[in-house]
Amino acid sequence: MLRTTLAGLRAHRLRLALTSLAIALGVGFIAGTFVLTDTIEKGFTQTFSAAADKIDVAVLPLPSGERGRVPTVPEATLEKIRAVDGVADAQGLVRGTSALIGKDGKAAGDYPTAGISLPEGPLNRTVIVSGAAPVTATQAVLDEGTARTRGFKIGDTITVLDHRNAQHRFTLVGLFDVGLDQEIGYTGAVGYTTATAREMTGQQGFRAIDVAAAEGVTQERLRDAVAAAVGADYQVLTGERFAADMAKANGADSGFLTMGLLLFGAVAMFVAALVIYNTFNILVAQRTREMALLRCIGATRGQVFGSILLESAVVGLLSSVAGLLLGYGMGAGALSVLAAFDAPLPVTTAALTPRTIALGLVIGLAVTIGAALLPARSATRVAPIAALRSQVEEQTFRAGLVRVIVAALFLISGVGTTVAGLTMEHGETALLVVMAGSTLVFLGVLTLGPVIVKPLSAFAGWVPAKLSGVPGRLAVENSRRNPKRSATTTVALTVGVTLMTVISVVTVTARATYTKQLDEQFPVDYMVQTQERDSSLPRTIAEELRTRPELTSVVAFRETLAAVGKGAGTGGGKHEVGTFTAAADFAPKLDTGSLGLLKPGTALVADHLAERFGVGAGDRITVRTAKAGTVALTVVGVSDGDSGLPGVTVPEREFDRYFSGVGDSRVMVNYRDGIDPDRALKVVEAATRPYPTAKVISSTEVRGQFDESLDMMLMVITGLLGLAVLISLLGIANTLSLSVHERTRESALLRALGLTRSQLRHMLSVEALVLGLIGALVGVVLGIVFGWVAAQTMSDDVVFRLPAPQILAFVALSGLAGVLAAVLPARRAARASIVDSLASG
Amino acid sequence: MTITGEAGAWNARETTVPAVTARGLTKVYGQGDAAVHALRGVDVSFSTGAFTAIMGPSGSGKSTLMHCLAGLDTVSGGQVHIGDVELTGLGDKQLTLLRRERIGFIFQAFNLLPTLTAEQNIRLPLEIAGRQADQDLFDRVVETVGLRDRLGHRPTELSGGQQQRVAVARALISKPQVIFADEPTGNLDSRSGAEVLSFLRTSVRELDQTIVMVTHDPVAASYADRVVFLRDGLLVSELSRPTPQSVLDTLMKLEA
Repeated sequence: MLRTTLAGLRAHRLRLALTSLAIALGVGFIAGTFVLTDTIEKGFTQTFSAAADKIDVAVLPLPSGERGRVPTVPEATLEKIRAVDGVADAQGLVRGTSALIGKDGKAAGDYPTAGISLPEGPLNRTVIVSGAAPVTATQAVLDEGTARTRGFKIGDTITVLDHRNAQHRFTLVGLFDVGLDQEIGYTGAVGYTTATAREMTGQQGFRAIDVAAAEGVTQERLRDAVAAAVGADYQVLTGERFAADMAKANGADSGFLTMGLLLFGAVAMFVAALVIYNTFNILVAQRTREMALLRCIGATRGQVFGSILLESAVVGLLSSVAGLLLGYGMGAGALSVLAAFDAPLPVTTAALTPRTIALGLVIGLAVTIGAALLPARSATRVAPIAALRSQVEEQTFRAGLVRVIVAALFLISGVGTTVAGLTMEHGETALLVVMAGSTLVFLGVLTLGPVIVKPLSAFAGWVPAKLSGVPGRLAVENSRRNPKRSATTTVALTVGVTLMTVISVVTVTARATYTKQLDEQFPVDYMVQTQERDSSLPRTIAEELRTRPELTSVVAFRETLAAVGKGAGTGGGKHEVGTFTAAADFAPKLDTGSLGLLKPGTALVADHLAERFGVGAGDRITVRTAKAGTVALTVVGVSDGDSGLPGVTVPEREFDRYFSGVGDSRVMVNYRDGIDPDRALKVVEAATRPYPTAKVISSTEVRGQFDESLDMMLMVITGLLGLAVLISLLGIANTLSLSVHERTRESALLRALGLTRSQLRHMLSVEALVLGLIGALVGVVLGIVFGWVAAQTMSDDVVFRLPAPQILAFVALSGLAGVLAAVLPARRAARASIVDSLASG
Repeated sequence: MTITGEAGAWNARETTVPAVTARGLTKVYGQGDAAVHALRGVDVSFSTGAFTAIMGPSGSGKSTLMHCLAGLDTVSGGQVHIGDVELTGLGDKQLTLLRRERIGFIFQAFNLLPTLTAEQNIRLPLEIAGRQADQDLFDRVVETVGLRDRLGHRPTELSGGQQQRVAVARALISKPQVIFADEPTGNLDSRSGAEVLSFLRTSVRELDQTIVMVTHDPVAASYADRVVFLRDGLLVSELSRPTPQSVLDTLMKLEA
């Protein structure tokens, strides 16, 4: 029996090649994911281990509970550590912000650059790649990325703002590598001597203290000694442990990446499973006579079953191995692409771990054998007598009661779950619930596939049949002659198209919703903001802008943190208390109440705070002010979270009575109608020129950034889903070539009756086109519905948009791809000799 | 030719142009030592309006001859004419169009497209050619083969005899210059076989159709006006107005 199976496999090598490719692609994607993330993790571990060699003990502050305050280790503790027996050296790391001024006179980048200290001696964690480390108070170094993008080179003079926004000049003496520090990798950093770093950033404490052990002192002993000296207020770790923790924290990021990629891998494997299932089903149907012959000469049902499973196991094994190789190549390719884009990743060679190999083989084998189980079972039902029948019976399909009941159960539970999700509070949970509901609905449609494929083929085939005469009509008939086979073939494509449609519907809707929200809350042309949240703009900017005739409304916002409480207490924690300068056409969005009611002694409360305190219009709150002591305020309205107003809004005059020295946090500017936007922008820029940290943002810029990131996401996801679509196209090609094989004599008959070669090719192309269109149509309809449902969970007022061009493109591309998939099978069919084909079978 | 009676009167009108002619037809499969000479120089012609059977033992080349005459297979040497058109030298496309316009086929099995109804199968050759069926002719053909009440059925719902009758009707509907039938009764029981053969003979008589039939069954051959015998790729004998017995005798002689 084994020999028969293997001989059969050899004989059908070509037929199984496409199936193998489908599995190999799926396994390859999963294996590639592991290769990529394993390599990244390995790199992190290596790099952090290298760092751990320098540091014997690290002292870190315990995390503070307070919002917006980074805990530090004070100078006194550093002195204490230095005095501990067994300590060779201890250095504190300073980190704060010190905004680098770009060549345009403005603070560089969207966020201020970090200011860090580079300790002298072996405890310096920072790697200088060119030049030297700073040794005097007028020397500084920059990270390579910032130096390159801002156009600074060694020997230049750079200007940096200190924490009071005063400008200081330094000589650039070197460039350093940010290594794996994600934080400064993002903002960029200026490095100083420890003393200068403290002056520039205003940070008196240290982010961490690195300790080197004296000779002969182990890390553990030193840790215990240091811990005893500093007390329980600090976290004291050995260098090894510190490195492991850092690696783990970064590993958590790559774990997220792994999960995301594996999700796409799972989709690809699901589609591959459908393709395999279909292929084996067809192979079994075609070999009915072969099976019957085996049964005639004494093979048991078990042996027939086993031979199919064995066949699938061999196919699964071979393609999994191919998939692993493919995965290794894809992982290595992705790494080199990431490296080419300067991603902050360690450089190592791609790792193919035993776990990846085992997982790849197990997944590939399990999916292949699992998908072949049902076809194998139907093979055992072949009666020995079938060997004697000359003509293979056409499969007739009737929608069984079981199928209808199962489909109904899926649909009902799916719709129920989705509706439940829609009634839930907006957010992630609701999204997950409706996604589960959508999946159930999808399974219901999948079960119903063979039932709906017939009417759909009539619909999808209407135009082709009209346009291309007899070949077209025959093609449409062929596409529906075996509904189960057509359904499985097209469902594989439906999976990919559904997901792509969902993604494009959600992104387009998100964009429209965001634009609408922007129009509501950001009905401004320009906004002046500081680079850093904590600092503020001098009020003179807004005052000067108000005098300009080109501008109509100039609204300044002021905010500060103050203790707020419900009723008479102030125990509700610190919240933002602020005000805004009124302008005629500025109307922030309020849930209840009105701006006109805002008088001295009253306040507007933001919706999140109102909910937290359980207060509404008419209730009282208390605010502890800097100048006026504790004041009681009556709530006259609740502001919407989208309005941009702080937690508590008080009238402008009152705010200045309560607090002093608070600058503007941001200024919103509209220009007069008919003014050239560029001229208006120049006016605003002129007013902010003396203040390097004051950044001018235009609303079109904000939208552009959002659009860009959405487009990027859409592209990446579509690309990843493309794999599933590719596999489903292999499925179409496979089904078609097997059908062509099955219909060899039919094709020969048509040719004898006068169908030309090109008409025969045309017929098969139309059949593939119809299959592709069915898959795409179902996918698009489901995708639009699922996308709409998913969008509803995002927020209250979703602006639903249908990305009609994209959706039409999906349908057209699916049809086209189907036609492409038919090219080879059609060529083979058209080339076949009529006489040979008539004699075969 | 020694044809008398009614059929002879039909044929007498057009004896000048035979429907199909082959001159020095040879067909070789393979090359060198492995070469098989299926046809070794066959000269034969088939009169318009006649029902001719090609007979011969297995491997005599009768199917190959039919395939070459019908333009389904290329020839190695010699000429084939369908009416006044020479087949040899035509490309695939021209051959296809020629088959479409001038030739009808009835095969042993697998004659019908399973996705089409009987009526659609009958009309198929005309539709492929983009021609409209003459409704009178359609009715007459359907009447002749007795399929009026079966037109809406698919092939799987028809008996073997009915399927072959559909195939006969399909071959007749386009009024081809010649119909080639390859063992049309090979898969049928004797009663259905007799029915199909009667229809073929009726169509020759009543519709003035030319039919060339390959068979190994002496009874089937006896329905023809004339039988030609093939052995080892050569035409070796022929009979007019055959009976099952005379065909059998000739075959016995050939195989002896």
